[in-house]
Amino acid sequence: MKQQISVLMDGELFDDEAEALLDKLKRNPAVCEEWQAYHLIGDVLRQPGHACCDIGAAMRERLQAEPTVLAPRAQASRNARWFALSAAASVMALTLVAWMSVQVGSEPPPQVAMQQPTALRPASFSGNKGLNNYLMAHQEFSPSADMQGATSYMRTVAGQ
Amino acid sequence: MQAAATKPAFLLTALLLATVHGAFADPLWQDELNWLKTMAFATHHTDYSGIFLYQYGNHVEISRITHIVDRDGEHSRLESMDGSRREIIRNNNKELCCPGDNKVKAIESQDIRTFPALLPEQLLLLNENYLIKKMEEERVAGFHAHAIIFQPKDNLRYTHKMWAHGDSGLLLKAEMLDERGRVIERNTFLQLTIGGNIDRSWIVVDKPDAASLAHQAPHDRLHKAEPLTNAGGWQVDMLPAGFRKVTEMRRPLRGKKSPVIQMVFSDGLASISVFIEAMDNDQDDHPGLSSQGAMQVYSKVTGDNLVTVVGEVPPRTVMQVADSVRYGGQ
Repeated sequence: MKQQISVLMDGELFDDEAEALLDKLKRNPAVCEEWQAYHLIGDVLRQPGHACCDIGAAMRERLQAEPTVLAPRAQASRNARWFALSAAASVMALTLVAWMSVQVGSEPPPQVAMQQPTALRPASFSGNKGLNNYLMAHQEFSPSADMQGATSYMRTVAGQ
Repeated sequence: MQAAATKPAFLLTALLLATVHGAFADPLWQDELNWLKTMAFATHHTDYSGIFLYQYGNHVEISRITHIVDRDGEHSRLESMDGSRREIIRNNNKELCCPGDNKVKAIESQDIRTFPALLPEQLLLLNENYLIKKMEEERVAGFHAHAIIFQPKDNLRYTHKMWAHGDSGLLLKAEMLDERGRVIERNTFLQLTIGGNIDRSWIVVDKPDAASLAHQAPHDRLHKAEPLTNAGGWQVDMLPAGFRKVTEMRRPLRGKKSPVIQMVFSDGLASISVFIEAMDNDQDDHPGLSSQGAMQVYSKVTGDNLVTVVGEVPPRTVMQVADSVRYGGQ
């Protein structure tokens, strides 16, 4: 059964077999739990930080009893809103460096991490003065940059 | 040390806020606004110096950043530590830019300050467009950091993760992730000193000789941006939900002979600029999509005009926005 579930998750089960298994899942809570556990394992492997977000309470309780859980519960928070704000409020250094990187721009075009599995293949604008000018004009009005008073950096230094 | 330094900031901010309190009736709302303003204020009033890493794809860049506040105002310095040498020093609104050849160039900044008036709006937008969750606290650059994640409610913007210093609120690390949870851009301090004895020898206090040595700013920089209404008749029909117009103007742009129209939209965290200009055959235009880390630039020709969309959003978003720009008449 376990192996079948695993194969189903990999999408390698034939349609009729998959249907039979899904039928079992619906009827048998134990199998269903197993199915959820496999997904959780997959989630933990892919994104350790988010594993405990979306699972049911029963599952969470069960997992807490097990020693192998990779995501300890968050400690009592002070003030999440405070944090959101302070975070948004302190991107000065970040935008500065990003800006500078654009300015220096003498590197070969970097490999760009793709956002979607399409044939889209954006060029790098490193070193492209024309595009840099748009970028700097844009960053003048970036919310995070303004919070830092760093906008002047973006808008006034010549791109040489 | 730093706690003592930020205390006056808190008090002053509280005073400032008391004066604007009447404008925002919702108490919950006011609370968020308070924090935002307090943090923005504190960040401008923190002395720090550190080594900073900026990474996207397989590109890595390391810089040293120093920020000092004294009675003359704010001073910041940014030095690249690898690749070609580059150094930028800023004293309040005056910048000195020292490229590899050590020629000092001073450029006066223009006084455009559009954002402070928009802060409450930004906050509202943040809550509308992102699920904001606290993550586990972590250590970054040797400091205890609070961590938070802003998860977009659609796939037209990126996930933002941020780690901020527990005491000062200074941002220590930030990541942007795509919809599959892959980091596409990372900024982080590797080492950081907050407060204390930070080197100040580089601070230049308005020396007349420095000004006379400096190149004058190019003439076109002196032209001011003019505010526009209704973007001169241009419309953007397909903005992602939650993006609001922040500003619109006709402005000079380096490398362009005539001013261009710029509209700026924001969802509180990410922003998108739409530039519109008349086609000019000898200019250095590049229709198509360009990308660096989380920043995308997409240009396309629309009739006799060139439309360029820039934003820290996924490629599909800048393309969708650019494709929906049209002239609706005055």
